[in-house]
Amino acid sequence: MKRTLKIALPAAALLAAAALSAPTTARADTLANMERERALLIETMLDGEIAASERQVRLEGARRRLLDLERMVLRDDKLVGRNTPNVRRAFANYDLTFLVHASAEKNRALADTWLAQLGISTQSLMAAKQGRR
Amino acid sequence: MKPLRHAVIVGPSLALALVMATPAAAKPADPPSWRPVASEKLIKLPTNYLKKSLDHDFAQSALSGAIQDADSEIGLKGQTLDDLRTAIEQADGELQVELRHQFLAQKREFITLMKRKADLRRRHLQTKQRTLERLLKKLGQEKGAMTPARVQLVAQQQQARARFKGSLAKVDLAVLASPAVPESKYAQEYAANMAAAEALAAAIRAHPMNSQARQDGQPASKADFIRQMLADTQAGVAVLEQEQNVIGYMAKLVALDALALSESVMDAELTDSDAPRTAGPAAAVKYFVN
Repeated sequence: MKRTLKIALPAAALLAAAALSAPTTARADTLANMERERALLIETMLDGEIAASERQVRLEGARRRLLDLERMVLRDDKLVGRNTPNVRRAFANYDLTFLVHASAEKNRALADTWLAQLGISTQSLMAAKQGRR
Repeated sequence: MKPLRHAVIVGPSLALALVMATPAAAKPADPPSWRPVASEKLIKLPTNYLKKSLDHDFAQSALSGAIQDADSEIGLKGQTLDDLRTAIEQADGELQVELRHQFLAQKREFITLMKRKADLRRRHLQTKQRTLERLLKKLGQEKGAMTPARVQLVAQQQQARARFKGSLAKVDLAVLASPAVPESKYAQEYAANMAAAEALAAAIRAHPMNSQARQDGQPASKADFIRQMLADTQAGVAVLEQEQNVIGYMAKLVALDALALSESVMDAELTDSDAPRTAGPAAAVKYFVN
């Protein structure tokens, strides 16, 4: 009995340590999910075919979904140090990637934050001239 | 064969055998071994548990069993030597010579056993050293994977997390201000799980088996701990080499004792011999002078 315990206990400890460190087999790609939702939100923002009220409703729903998805990405330990182009690009610009959080932090509309990050402001739009390229 | 004659013949051959055979004993066909693996699992173990795991693995090996066997054999041989020494003190004449011869033979076997044990211990220490070196190398490879781009990415991720934590309350207030909109399922479950995870994390931090290894009173990193273990193992190898020198000196002393015994027995035989002494020409002069 004692012998069984002697063998089983270290094995159990090893198993526990391995379970803590082993990556889960079903890997949910939080970053890809967030990027997909963000792309849909931007598409809704730029869609000229829909009415302003409908856009407002859609953006509100997308904002709430994106809020959770952004938090999932920010809390995802599996992304720490994962040196892929997508992850590098995502963390290179917090304001552009985590649009909902950055907008709420600055008390600005989503569209304003996004356009500001792309370098488009009211002044630059007003100064723009229509012409043929 | 008379004991004295036996000692005269065997004495020098024993000395020769000791001098020649001590450095390399006959190797068994399948030497006992210990084959630890420097696995990823071993690297991920807590520092304190790493040493225990290696020691436990060694204790289960054939090499450990062989060292224990050698230890018990040496203990028994030591008792035999003690008994023989006492017997020599009490004996005299031919019996004492025979016992001295036995004493030398037993000493030789004792030295052979000591050498065998030293070889086994050397194998253990060398295997441990190689395993620790491999562990250190693997640990270094993991650290080496931190390229400048990766370091920059990790720094950006830390900044993002810090900014997120700093603005969490403000963002919640701004986005979830409307009472008509309920908190999302993710937010609710995350908060509940977070409380449970924090309670568990606190229990893990307080657990005695999770205490961090310390070096000179300071918390030691895993690499520091392995390096310390490696240094201890190398010190063990150095001490073992010194012990082998001592065994060598023992062997030399036994060889000299065997020669002395052989010589003393030969002297005694020559004294008792009936062979006529050869005389010089001066002693024969009386036959020629009238």
